[in-house]
Amino acid sequence: MLAITNLSFSFQHRRLFDRLSLTANSGELIHISGPNGVGKSTFMAVVAGLLAPASGDIEYRIGHQSVPDRRAYLEYLPAEANGLYTKMDATQNLLFWAHLRGVPLSREAAFAALDPWNLNHPLLRDGFPVEKFSTGMKRRLALARLDLSPVPGWLLDEPLYGLDADAMRVFRQRLETHLRKGGFALLISHDLAPLNGLITRTINLSRGVKHDG
Amino acid sequence: MFSVEDKREFYAGALLQFLVLAHWLGAFYYAPVDIHQGQVYRIMFLHVPCAITAFASSLGLCIFSIIGLRQRSESVMAWAKATAEVGLLFTILTLATGSIWGRPTWGTWWTWDARLTTTFLLALLYAGYLLLHASMPAGPGRVRVCAVLGILIFADVPVIYKSVTWWRTLHQPPSIIREGGSTMDPEILWTIVVGIVIMCLYSSWMVRVRGRNILLTGQLEAASFEQLNG
Amino acid sequence: MMANAWQQYRALVSQGVRAELADLERLVSPVLFAITLLLLFAFAMGDVDDSLRIRVYLAETMLTALFALQVSFARLFEPDRQDRVFDLLRTYPVSHTALFLAKYSLILILGTATMIPTLVFGAFLNQTANQHLFSWSVVGISLLALAGLGALGVLLSAMTLKANARQILYPLLYFPLTAPVLLAAVQSSRLCLDGGRAASDIKAWLGLLLGFDCIYVTLGILLFTELVDES
Repeated sequence: MLAITNLSFSFQHRRLFDRLSLTANSGELIHISGPNGVGKSTFMAVVAGLLAPASGDIEYRIGHQSVPDRRAYLEYLPAEANGLYTKMDATQNLLFWAHLRGVPLSREAAFAALDPWNLNHPLLRDGFPVEKFSTGMKRRLALARLDLSPVPGWLLDEPLYGLDADAMRVFRQRLETHLRKGGFALLISHDLAPLNGLITRTINLSRGVKHDG
Repeated sequence: MFSVEDKREFYAGALLQFLVLAHWLGAFYYAPVDIHQGQVYRIMFLHVPCAITAFASSLGLCIFSIIGLRQRSESVMAWAKATAEVGLLFTILTLATGSIWGRPTWGTWWTWDARLTTTFLLALLYAGYLLLHASMPAGPGRVRVCAVLGILIFADVPVIYKSVTWWRTLHQPPSIIREGGSTMDPEILWTIVVGIVIMCLYSSWMVRVRGRNILLTGQLEAASFEQLNG
Repeated sequence: MMANAWQQYRALVSQGVRAELADLERLVSPVLFAITLLLLFAFAMGDVDDSLRIRVYLAETMLTALFALQVSFARLFEPDRQDRVFDLLRTYPVSHTALFLAKYSLILILGTATMIPTLVFGAFLNQTANQHLFSWSVVGISLLALAGLGALGVLLSAMTLKANARQILYPLLYFPLTAPVLLAAVQSSRLCLDGGRAASDIKAWLGLLLGFDCIYVTLGILLFTELVDES
């Protein structure tokens, strides 16, 4: 489980969030809400390990034991980018990120992972650089990478951005499977309709001192 | 209007300024005339302390950088930046006085001497440091990057010095500069040593004033942000 | 799930090589730049006396190589800067040493691909009927120089990743810091090509190059982690 205790962060003298505590248990989908500019994306980046908090702790615990590197249990999807090598094709991107985590992945398995996202077409998956993809296709590929990763924690920053109705359905279904298998996710999204009924908790960042629940 | 600290700083500065002037008087009247170079050698009493301060600043920069990296502290890096600025100033002074000294003694404003070349590169490195600092947004990222450069600069200076010395000594023995050694008059030696001490103190005072200035600017910015956010 | 450092290193290097091959212009442009520079140098120099030939060749070629390497080094992180790949890398449990060594290996590959054609073409342009300038010992010296330059290149690339004026800052920091390498490489190569000169002089210059390499590879491993850690 992911345990965040008394997390504070300030950017250029501006306090974005103050003593925020939150625990994410397996099976939970926690929606991080709040108006624009309140620091939702920054919060995700801090949890993902990109930015150092001003104070507070973020731990990933197995039982009561805190793991040395929480990044081994978290997968981050940024809002305005997908983290894809734009000159490489879809399969190479999937293989690289999987190998970097130490997941042995064959080309066939990568094709299979592209399938639900409607990217498993011989002309799309191989030798077709990602930079030529549309916005929605890139997002779908990024979600395929996320789905392929065997980590329990997903940090999703606007995952639905650019997705069409079909892809949203696929995303909902994959997310449900992930949660059912014992995973958890933190989510930022301005459009919650496609995820109706999945969200277990909402944390509003705009209210002063925040506590769990 | 002025805090106790401001006043203390002001008096310390005035005292140091006075010491610098006194040292210059000593350089002109106490130290004897050089047999080879005549009066012109007296610029050495400004040149050598400046040079030593310029190189000592790179040590200061490195120390502040290491502490800044260890403590992840932006305030320590304000001191580092102040050190780089003072270092650049003294490096330029060293180059200027060296050139002025070189004209009558060597007959040229510039020669490819080891010390000159190294000093020149040091000036470029300080300038690069300040540019890098200016081109990054404030924050922990800048602390890291600038600290790394501070350490790199200090690591590189001995290598540059070594290489340039070899470059010269290997195919043309350095015959132009006749510096230091046991042949020096004790009066001259003393004047120079005192000059170095005073210049080092003076530059530390400058670093202190400038560092506090940078920190205050940051605080002022923070205060105005607080006002803005209510 | 966490890969060990060796697996990560392999994944990063093979990805880096693939990214370069996918974008061949990137690989070729420093070489073209070097060839253009060499031609310009030859024009500017005009006809040179044979006794100066070796000097001119080394000065032109080494300087050109230094420029071309800067062009190639400055773009080291370019594939990772697109689409925030580098940030995503930082959210993966990647060993910083593995990341440094992977980038360092990549820079050595890119550097060799730039260095060798520059040396060959420089020798080709400067050769005369009775003087063949290409020499394997010069290649060896250049590769020794590259080992140190590469470590510095990785550090500077990571440092200027977030700076606004990256284009101009990189050369401003790179050239003064690498002045000793240029000197040592030119001097030791000259002693090699001249032949019959004191071996101890060559040794001194090679020692300097080796010292530079050691300092920068060590500093690279130590400091790189500070540059990619959460900030």
